[in-house]
Amino acid sequence: MGLTIAEKILARAAGRERVKAGDDIRARPDFIIAYDFPGYTDVIFRQMKEDFGIDKVVAPERFAMFIDHMVPAINPKEEELHQITRDWGTEQGVPVYERLGIGHQVAAELGYATPGSFAVHFDGHISQLGTFGTLAIGLRRHLLEAFVNEHILIKVPQTTRVELTGKPRPGVMARDIFHHIVREIGSSACRFQVLEIAGEALDHISLEGRQSITCLAMFTGAITAIINPDSRSLEYALPRARLKLDPLSSDSDANYAAVHTIDLTDLEPVVVIPPSPANTRNLSEFTGTEVQVGYLGSCASGRLEDLRIAAQVLKGRQIKPGFQLNIVPTSQEIMRQAAEEGIITDLVAAGAFVTSSSCDYCFGRIGAMAAGQRAVSTGTLNVRGRMGSRDSEIFIVNAAAVAAAALDGCITDPRKYL
Amino acid sequence: MPLNNLRGRVAFIFDEVDFDVDQIVGVENIKLKDPAELAAVAMSAYDPEFAKAVRTGDILIGADNFGYGHPHYPPMIAMRHLGIAGVVAESFSPGYWRGEIAMGFPQAACPGVRQHVSRWDEVEVDWTALEFRNLTTGIVLPIETLAEGDRLMLAEGGLIGYLHAREKEISA
Repeated sequence: MGLTIAEKILARAAGRERVKAGDDIRARPDFIIAYDFPGYTDVIFRQMKEDFGIDKVVAPERFAMFIDHMVPAINPKEEELHQITRDWGTEQGVPVYERLGIGHQVAAELGYATPGSFAVHFDGHISQLGTFGTLAIGLRRHLLEAFVNEHILIKVPQTTRVELTGKPRPGVMARDIFHHIVREIGSSACRFQVLEIAGEALDHISLEGRQSITCLAMFTGAITAIINPDSRSLEYALPRARLKLDPLSSDSDANYAAVHTIDLTDLEPVVVIPPSPANTRNLSEFTGTEVQVGYLGSCASGRLEDLRIAAQVLKGRQIKPGFQLNIVPTSQEIMRQAAEEGIITDLVAAGAFVTSSSCDYCFGRIGAMAAGQRAVSTGTLNVRGRMGSRDSEIFIVNAAAVAAAALDGCITDPRKYL
Repeated sequence: MPLNNLRGRVAFIFDEVDFDVDQIVGVENIKLKDPAELAAVAMSAYDPEFAKAVRTGDILIGADNFGYGHPHYPPMIAMRHLGIAGVVAESFSPGYWRGEIAMGFPQAACPGVRQHVSRWDEVEVDWTALEFRNLTTGIVLPIETLAEGDRLMLAEGGLIGYLHAREKEISA
């Protein structure tokens, strides 16, 4: 019986010839990544010293800290947290990346998405490094183990494989594909497992789209998602890879917990209705629903293809008076490229409010909604209160649909503008 | 080391599948750290009298995929402050499960549990017999086995104790 890519990566990280799902192993993470957030990094830094008497992490080159939440700080307390992180990085010899964008995206740009590597974070959206054949798992506070021990104890997870077939129609984007996967297999289908995305349809899904899909793995119950490397992902990842590793792939006779085939040929744009990321519906059922706010950004979306399609929708048009359209590129590098392409000009000319990269819109720290307001969003979540009042609502849609809603003031099929 | 059984009343039944625990305190309060402040806002959307009614040792019941979404720690910090001793649900979402087990907060997966409990029933979780017992009705249901790491984490009171125990194991 062959092995999955997850089993192969964990075998290498454990220094063993082979491991299989269910084995308890000690694996050495190649990368330990985190963003600073109260109750996580500050607590981990303190626990490492006070509870374990450890002054220095082992092999600091494996660590990367990001400052992407609470950027820019709105009070001294937030800035003090960032200062704790900067000081810790200096003391430990660990790089602290700030004002470069959302860490999960910047990590890929900086080569932490090394194909074949094993990465850990406390936040589950790090799963998006799986786009490049990296096994990246969010451990929540259990991340502390990677700060105090060189190896972490981990049970090798089973894998569910989702084969995507067919060619998505124009105007159907990666967000539609991911939320359709949730609709098809269910919100707990991959509980405690790895979600492996495969199939011929990947040829029609950009790397950026794959990042959107793998980013959201947790909403299938999975602990991460991964895609076997292909020429496109290697072309991006290898030149910037921080480690020289052989890329790994699942064997054709690997053992899967389940295999699902999902045909994308007839897929229509979807909307994920509040208050749960499990509520995927066809967008056509909700056209005409009034919305006052649009958010295009987050670690899941807000990349060049998202900005491009929004610009395509908005170019030469004006958003509806009073509509608040917030556009936040996922990284500063994406912002730069969008500026070079003239995309930012088109977005701003149409009335969009375009800001530098930050996580803060996604959880309502800025751009918060009042009771009774309703948003279309490419953010990660649509639970009550995620972007402001618990009596506001979030409808998750693709980037084109956010832009289209900004023109019409209601949920609209974006394809009429493409 | 055997785990102590949980025994208490059913303080609340969360009927919603894919329940987002952040709703217990409200997402707007997710950055609060003080357990008393969190406890003061907990459950206001579900039962404003909850804090008065609950007592130490009480247990929460959940539906399938309890903890779905992008869970944070404050809701269960609030619940522990109010005396809640653990959660029994039909099944759990992994991120929530991992986070709360690391806090040393007992969680038991018990398929079918929701159909066999009413609020304020006296119930017991027996980790050795792998049973959930409704002492009010006499109904007994099997619970799922804990993974060894999870069992150790609960036995050691959470992540810190667990890592210290592992240190000893490695040095031995």
